[in-house]
Amino acid sequence: MAGAISTAVTVSMPLVAAAQSTSTVVIAQAADAYSMDPAKHSAFPTANILFQIYDGLVTQNEKGEIAPALATSWSNPDPLTWRFKLREGVKFHNGEAFNAAAVKYTFDRALDPNFKAPYYSRISQIKAVTVVDDYTIDIKTDKPFPTMLLSLYEASFPALIVAPTYTAQNNGADLGAKPVGTGPYRFVEWKRDERVVLEANPDYWGGKPSIAKVIFRPIKETRTRIAELKSEGVDIAVDVPPEDIASLESGDTKVVSVPSEFLYFLAFDTTRDTPLKDKRVRQAINYAVDVDAIQQALLNGMGTRIALTLPSNAFSYDPSWKPYPYDPAKAKALLAEAGYPNGFTIPLMTRKGRYMKDSEIVEATAGFLSKVGIKANIQYLEPGVWGQVSEKKGREGITFPGWSGRDPNLVWAPLLHTGEYQSYYSNPDLDKLLDAGAATIDPAERKSIYTKAAAIIKDDAPHLPMVQPPLIYGLDKKLSWTPRADGMIDLRKAHY
Amino acid sequence: MANFLISRLLYATVVLLGVSVAVFFLIRIGGDPSALFLPPEAPVEEIQRFRHLMGFDRPLLVQYFEFLGRAVQGDFGMSLRYEQPAMSLVLERVPATLELGGMAFVMSLAVAIPLAILAAANRGSAIDRASLLISLIGQSFPAFWLAIMLILLFSETFYILPPSGRGGWQHLIMPAIVLATYSTAIITRLLRSSMIEVLQSDYVRTARGKGVRESRIILSHALRNAAIPTLTVIGLQVGALLGGAVITEEVFAYPGIGRLAIQAIANRDFTVVQAFVLFMAVVIVAINLLVDLSYGFLDPRLRRNK
Repeated sequence: MAGAISTAVTVSMPLVAAAQSTSTVVIAQAADAYSMDPAKHSAFPTANILFQIYDGLVTQNEKGEIAPALATSWSNPDPLTWRFKLREGVKFHNGEAFNAAAVKYTFDRALDPNFKAPYYSRISQIKAVTVVDDYTIDIKTDKPFPTMLLSLYEASFPALIVAPTYTAQNNGADLGAKPVGTGPYRFVEWKRDERVVLEANPDYWGGKPSIAKVIFRPIKETRTRIAELKSEGVDIAVDVPPEDIASLESGDTKVVSVPSEFLYFLAFDTTRDTPLKDKRVRQAINYAVDVDAIQQALLNGMGTRIALTLPSNAFSYDPSWKPYPYDPAKAKALLAEAGYPNGFTIPLMTRKGRYMKDSEIVEATAGFLSKVGIKANIQYLEPGVWGQVSEKKGREGITFPGWSGRDPNLVWAPLLHTGEYQSYYSNPDLDKLLDAGAATIDPAERKSIYTKAAAIIKDDAPHLPMVQPPLIYGLDKKLSWTPRADGMIDLRKAHY
Repeated sequence: MANFLISRLLYATVVLLGVSVAVFFLIRIGGDPSALFLPPEAPVEEIQRFRHLMGFDRPLLVQYFEFLGRAVQGDFGMSLRYEQPAMSLVLERVPATLELGGMAFVMSLAVAIPLAILAAANRGSAIDRASLLISLIGQSFPAFWLAIMLILLFSETFYILPPSGRGGWQHLIMPAIVLATYSTAIITRLLRSSMIEVLQSDYVRTARGKGVRESRIILSHALRNAAIPTLTVIGLQVGALLGGAVITEEVFAYPGIGRLAIQAIANRDFTVVQAFVLFMAVVIVAINLLVDLSYGFLDPRLRRNK
């Protein structure tokens, strides 16, 4: 019977069978590209497409480390200069040569305020890019900038290198419609809201990719993505819900997952006069919520439990850090000590459907809080309204903001430094350490600074760290492809 | 007739102006797109800088009249996300939506008209009761649920239809069924009740008395008169099929204007939302005008009065 059906499929549905070909990979993600210009968008699905077409100076290897790409090596002649040696003999898809002038052009263009690059802030620490020789370039900053490499790899969208002559044509409009990069895939076709088609670049400096053709399709609805995967219309489906894993682990499909470097945590507003100002109350909340149980029940036990608000692959993360254990009795005792033996009522602000299982996690958390007498009034804000409220520093009580970043300077500085836009916390001792960490290039010295900062954060508990949620992908069983913690899709090494 | 057309054109202008005010100010209530467009870690100064660069910090009335001044010249502004003219983004997707809406429209008429006629002609029979049941179910089925069920059945279980996208006629079947369900239900119910009313009128009795064949009475005498109230609803349904396909297009990943609109709303891509709403307003005004004009062809008395 199954044989009869599959024969019928190949006969009657040639269109759908496209993904069965072993030389093509079809990827279904939630949205289409907005532009083919890497400096002109701010959307991850767009970045996933463009990363196949363009390269950055550096990239992330399979171990999650920063590795050479268009730059082969780098050094710091002084704390304000990053010197990059560039790869020689690389050509853009249209034949233009890649060299120091292309790097300078790329950054000068994206850093021009009138260009209005949405991800300007990722690269705005760069004050000048100077050509040393054809294959050497200096990137200058005003202040020491220890996380420079994270501003230059592919997740920093405007850092992907564009071809100067081609990009200048038609004021960038050509690039926005028909991209030209140095990447493993060349642009073929873009039918808006339908598909982006790419073909392997035989001259790729990293070796010709094994998959000959790549198609990105925008499919917003999760169920539809899964149906496409099961009916062999697509080979990679992003964001599979945990409850669908079992059904995809059989037949012609499989599931691959990786803990993302995204952070789920609760943040406490300590700027307003509420019980959350008291350290004991914040610690009590850390003891009151059984995060392991939430992870088990809602995320199938997937993802990584975090002890502090920092992804486990971040600089200076220490595996010996331990989260607060689940201890409701201790939580009650701390609340009583702080003068709230009967608990209190507090708003819990969040967005719904923004991140996987966000509302379920928030509701489960509120359940645990109610057991120790804390009544959390959950308020769901529409993303645009959340942005408006945040801009006015209006997040109150407990929030579930979500964050990511692979360095304490990208996580703790914006979230915990006094006066920062995202920070609802102030601690002069911590500020000093965060300032020092931001101004130090030497890794050993930075590590010791952040170890001290971690101790303060653990004890003062401005957050309740929860998990790095998993990234879950449904795949054609024959396809071999490794997902990345930062969520970027890289098909350079994919093969059947 | 000329007076009628002139008054209708004036009326259309007022409607479009009203729509432009409503969409312009309503979409801005939830805030501007600056914070959504920039990376999450962008500092507040950066958000303000971007807002100023884009001109979102100017007084709303100034922005409105600038928008209106350009819109009357056919310039609906650039999409923030796509950096392309907003109206051309909408128009680019109209053929796909027309294809889907057209198929759904034909489907619903092909089911609703025969069903309603049969039901009215055989009042109280099994087919009449079935038509009532179909109308009830059709109107109360959530489109989203029906779409998912069809995908589970035809794509995941039997592998006979592609679950999403645009391409051959196979891609149209499931979304068209979902879209047609509601219109079929409404048209069936309305046409059935108008037919029943007409079939009880004096001239039908006279015709029967004269010995006219029943099939002629139903198709020629009754249907023509019953069509007039139904036509208004059919006109409204055409509008709904074009603009109301948002959920269907989203579930089936169909590249039409509904999907563009819902994304633009989530992104606060103001110019695209404005272009979409004004385009739909023009379509609906035009359909209403056509429906009004068609009354004259169906009912000679209306023609003489004008």
